[in-house]
Amino acid sequence: MATLTSAGEQPPAQPSLTFTRPVFAKLSPHPYLLHTLSPSDPSTTPSSRTNGRKPNEARKIQINTSSLSQAHGSALVRTGDTTVICGVRGEILPVAAIPQFRENKNRKYDDAGTLEEKGRKELKEYDLLVPNIELATGCAPQFLPGVPPTTLVQTVSTRVYSLLHSTGLVDVEGLRIWYTHTRGGDGDKMEGVEGEEAHEEEDEELEPEIKAYWVLYIDLLFVSFDGNPFDAAWAAVVAALKDTKLPAARWDPDREMVVCSGKEEQKKKLNVRGLPVASSAAVFLEKEHAEEREGDRHWILLDPDRQEEGLCNEVITMVVDCNGQDGELRIRSIEKQGGTVLGRELIRGFAGVAEERWKEVVAAMQ
Amino acid sequence: MASPCATSAPEAALGVLPRSDGSAKYSHAGYTVTASVNGPIEAQRKDENPYEAFVDVIVRPAAGVGGTRERHLESILQSSLSHIILIKNFPRCLIQIVLQIEDTPENDYVNTKLVQASLNFAIMPALFQTAVLALLSAGVPMRATAAATAVAVVPQDGVKKTVVDPSPRDIEIAQSVHVLAFTSHGELLLAESEGDFTVKEWDGIYETAKKTCCHSTPAKDGMEMVLDEEASAGPDMRHFLRSTMESKVAADLYWK
Repeated sequence: MATLTSAGEQPPAQPSLTFTRPVFAKLSPHPYLLHTLSPSDPSTTPSSRTNGRKPNEARKIQINTSSLSQAHGSALVRTGDTTVICGVRGEILPVAAIPQFRENKNRKYDDAGTLEEKGRKELKEYDLLVPNIELATGCAPQFLPGVPPTTLVQTVSTRVYSLLHSTGLVDVEGLRIWYTHTRGGDGDKMEGVEGEEAHEEEDEELEPEIKAYWVLYIDLLFVSFDGNPFDAAWAAVVAALKDTKLPAARWDPDREMVVCSGKEEQKKKLNVRGLPVASSAAVFLEKEHAEEREGDRHWILLDPDRQEEGLCNEVITMVVDCNGQDGELRIRSIEKQGGTVLGRELIRGFAGVAEERWKEVVAAMQ
Repeated sequence: MASPCATSAPEAALGVLPRSDGSAKYSHAGYTVTASVNGPIEAQRKDENPYEAFVDVIVRPAAGVGGTRERHLESILQSSLSHIILIKNFPRCLIQIVLQIEDTPENDYVNTKLVQASLNFAIMPALFQTAVLALLSAGVPMRATAAATAVAVVPQDGVKKTVVDPSPRDIEIAQSVHVLAFTSHGELLLAESEGDFTVKEWDGIYETAKKTCCHSTPAKDGMEMVLDEEASAGPDMRHFLRSTMESKVAADLYWK
């Protein structure tokens, strides 16, 4: 008090009964968001969220790839104040180390559909994709370091893992390390001449066999967290996998191990199928603590931030891909939970919103 | 379309555990789940909410300890059940739901690993139904009941076939797998899908799932009219929940 009177000649200002906007937003976020979403005069002030966006406006996405020099592929994704970095690193898994390893001998005689299915099974059975998510990096105040993984981390990592497998994003062929037996000890490959010279029995021996796999460790680190972790994490995973280049590896029969070439030009790009993009939204209800009734208003907030996520129960995430033939919209995943506002019509309509978002994200990736 | 699995009717028993507030055992399509519900009870300091009750869902797998997959299942169930339980009536309380998976169908085609991280769609309906039955058994006030169903789109001889309550093998070869839950008012409560499908296909799935969860047999003067065509469409979950409760009440009140 002493400093106050000494600093200024006038008496201390009367404590105001009205809050400034930021204080109001912090103290009672729900009424504040409701107020900005439903302005008293919609003709002059449009309906907007606390963060200034329109309800169906997502944050701009920025994607940088190859920023980590030690990883085989990496991507930094930033949407608003949510920043996530993803690094992909390949490690070699010799098949001798896989318990119950069974090779598909008749792989060549299968039709394409079952071949792809088998590839997916391989990825899953031998755990060739290992995503891991780290949120306790001081990215937001609610994640404390040194505690066991929170439910949110476990949920996001399960979703990323499931989606990686269900979308078949990674072609397992790029992860296999083949070896073709050579006749005699001269070390030359016989692929070129096996047709003319080899007998039928020896053909069997000359079948190439899988000696090892690449295991991809996909590590996601949240640098800063401001809501909607899954969209950013998934975009980072896709961008990092597209950026991944694995060194040329071959089986050395003398040393009985896989050797990699260090040459940059021999590195092979990973084959990534499709370009699925996730978009999330949350449903904001008019009533905070009362039972909802028929005729209550609601808003669907695309790409919610941390504060909005805390105010909404019902969420939807849709993963779409328009990368196929004739650019048709294919849905790869829908996850809707926590309420009954989003019915059939709204989910159908949300597919269009997700398609728009797909275009934005794909433009940012290129 | 009726699948071979749909012919096996669901079975349920209420009040199987004597020391919990409510309990239920449910088995369908090869899955058996037992649930116990305790609540409303005092909540831990960190879970206490001054405006509403905290719903705690714990999923225990048939073997081993729960991992990330169980945490994800728990979070899905928690958000869905919080919506149908009248949590605002019990501020600062806890409603605890423990779901123990007892039996899962075997898959002969794969050497099943104990710890799997990917989502298990087929078990979600069983968990959901058991939780709702246990909540009813505990007398927890709810806005509506709800039922869930799993649907898979399986390519078969070049045509896509919709299978209700798919087997593990169906899920393995399926193009897309869906779990949808509806409240007894016919509102969509939960929708989880993965695979590859279009909006139009999802619409068809929605119809099939809604029919299974709550195809309303038009009731006239207390008489339920069941058409032959509808009866063949598989179990009606809403009717099943109702009849299970009715038989339990009738058994409890036999002395009257």
